[in-house]
Amino acid sequence: MPRGNSQPSTDGGPQTADRRHQKASGGRRSAVGGRLRIGTLPLALAVLIALTIYAFVIWFPKPPPKPDATWVHILDAGELRVGIDPSFPPFESDDAKGNLYGLDIALASELARAWSSANETPIRVEYVYSGFDGLYDALKAKQFDAIISALPYDPKKTEDVSFSHSYFNSGPRIVVRESDAMTKTYYDLMGKPIGVELGSTGDAFARRWQRRLKFDLRTYNTPADALRALRLGQVDAVFTDLVAFNDVWRVEGGIKQVGDPLVSELVVIAVRKDTPTLLAQINAVIDAMKRDGRMEKLYAEWLVARGGSE
Amino acid sequence: MGGVVQVQGGKGTGGQGRVLPRSSAPLFPCIVKRGIRILEALALLALLCALAAPPPILVTLGPQQTVRTTNPKVGVHTRVTDEVEEWKIKKNFEMVREMDASWVVEYFPWEYIENEEGQFDWAHADLVVEHARRQGLQVIARLGFVPRWARPKDSVTSYLDEARYPTFANFVAEFVRHFAGRVQHIVIWNEPNVNFEWGYRGIAPAGYARMLQAVYPRAKASDPSVQILAGALAPTLAPPGTVDAMNDLDYLQQMYDAGAKDYFDALAIHAYGWTAPADEAPSVQRVNFSRAELLREIMVRNGDADKHAFITEGGWNDHPRWTKAVHPAERIAYTLRAYEICRGWDWLAACALWAFRYPFPAQTYLDYFTFVTPEFDPKPIYYEVQKYAAR
Repeated sequence: MPRGNSQPSTDGGPQTADRRHQKASGGRRSAVGGRLRIGTLPLALAVLIALTIYAFVIWFPKPPPKPDATWVHILDAGELRVGIDPSFPPFESDDAKGNLYGLDIALASELARAWSSANETPIRVEYVYSGFDGLYDALKAKQFDAIISALPYDPKKTEDVSFSHSYFNSGPRIVVRESDAMTKTYYDLMGKPIGVELGSTGDAFARRWQRRLKFDLRTYNTPADALRALRLGQVDAVFTDLVAFNDVWRVEGGIKQVGDPLVSELVVIAVRKDTPTLLAQINAVIDAMKRDGRMEKLYAEWLVARGGSE
Repeated sequence: MGGVVQVQGGKGTGGQGRVLPRSSAPLFPCIVKRGIRILEALALLALLCALAAPPPILVTLGPQQTVRTTNPKVGVHTRVTDEVEEWKIKKNFEMVREMDASWVVEYFPWEYIENEEGQFDWAHADLVVEHARRQGLQVIARLGFVPRWARPKDSVTSYLDEARYPTFANFVAEFVRHFAGRVQHIVIWNEPNVNFEWGYRGIAPAGYARMLQAVYPRAKASDPSVQILAGALAPTLAPPGTVDAMNDLDYLQQMYDAGAKDYFDALAIHAYGWTAPADEAPSVQRVNFSRAELLREIMVRNGDADKHAFITEGGWNDHPRWTKAVHPAERIAYTLRAYEICRGWDWLAACALWAFRYPFPAQTYLDYFTFVTPEFDPKPIYYEVQKYAAR
């Protein structure tokens, strides 16, 4: 359809009054039709400058950030102060003689050992006891530098404290008989009898999915009771945590854990928000331990070999 | 430069535009046309915004419901005082009803309603009461929380000077009048045997008795059928002379000694089990669920055998780390047993356990007292109570 002269054109068509006006007033070159628009040059220059700055920022090494005061103090004093509620085996327990033991104690020792080695200065761990509910307040009050006490990750606390990378997932898992080669996920358990500890996270998970997957849910007073029912063939699977599983498996065997945790309950270390260096140092050690197998060894020693009945 | 003005062709020009020298262009029609286009664009934008906006949430009271339960004493303490959104208030009470519980205890802070002296805002309280009643629930209202204007500067909300008792009595009277026929049970204050609940002004059973004496006649004048509940004492073994708390059994007796007997219709009891099973025998040396029987004995001893008692708080906690918690399975078993024990106590009218749901996580062990998560996910205990009350 032919356009009238007054229609603006962008395709090199009939000249408009505007274009005639542009030509009359000195003119601009259009990019259309292979010609370079004058306004492109400043834009290209701006992009080039931005890319140069970006490359500079990316490729040139940044000066290391100033270490936070807590980290400096840990190195100067040779002491990491850890807040702990020592009443939660196999993560932390007190033998009533002031001796602490458990997975968290071993982890804190690993942190101190790694930092001592990297900084060529001895660092020891000083434990500060606190009730579990008081740990966050005591951390904020600087009674210690970090909470290492089987602390569950809590997204609602991230405004107040910084959390490390997770070092354990305590969520419930699927446990089946050793001979069961079919069960890989909870979908494979549709319509089957499932055992749970009454009121536990595994119980809540099973009830949530019961309507869709038609689990035949059977509740037991303890996870051990549920796991024994599994061994006896009364249920086809149990939803329980790794600690409870290991406690029964270590003694009685005949069962295995399959798949990922059904619910993520991440266990983390908490530090104050103003201690980014300490947080980075903790994360570095946790990550290294996961990579080189030291974390697995801690699990093997404290969760498998000893367990929650310790 | 003289310049030109482009005039687009329209119907009248057969689509042909004209180019006029600026000096001679008819500017006014051009401005009007552009103005109209801008207005059209704005109208379109407004329409799009209106279409894109989410529709307002429509919450209605819904049809009248009835609680179907085999144990009409089953109840819970709800926490909708701080709930802003109406649908959450409704959802709370729907879920209570679906759990087959008949009673709810709810807190109505004085300051929220009478934020300025003599100015009563019943809007939120009405929402709460109406939604609860529509679900067929009986509401027990707990009153407290002193407004700023009724207490000294920098004092806590539990501080009420004796000179202000008539002011509080006036509020209670207004509350009873407003909710006459809708709320029949009123709890006066909370845990006055704990220092911080008594404004840090020294625990005084006689002082609480005087509060009841101020409140009771005013409430009855507003609605003679209203039931005034006293006590709601914190179960504690605090030895004599403790600043922070007074033994609840001693406190109740001292309330009677101070002449409280004729100024309440029923006793509100807090029955926490801590780590003991519901069946554990009562003992003056133990805080357990059966401690309610000891309070009852004191009532009987003081000539109040005809009065009822209401458990307005209580229950068990299943936090994995708290020293006064039990395992989840124990919590469920003890809770069901407690409701069953209450069924057999003819002197007890209702058993409302703490707490149905928090509007937001407390992020402490307190979260493990609840039946439902803040996201309205029922915990296993919810289903077990439902199963119990349905059979």
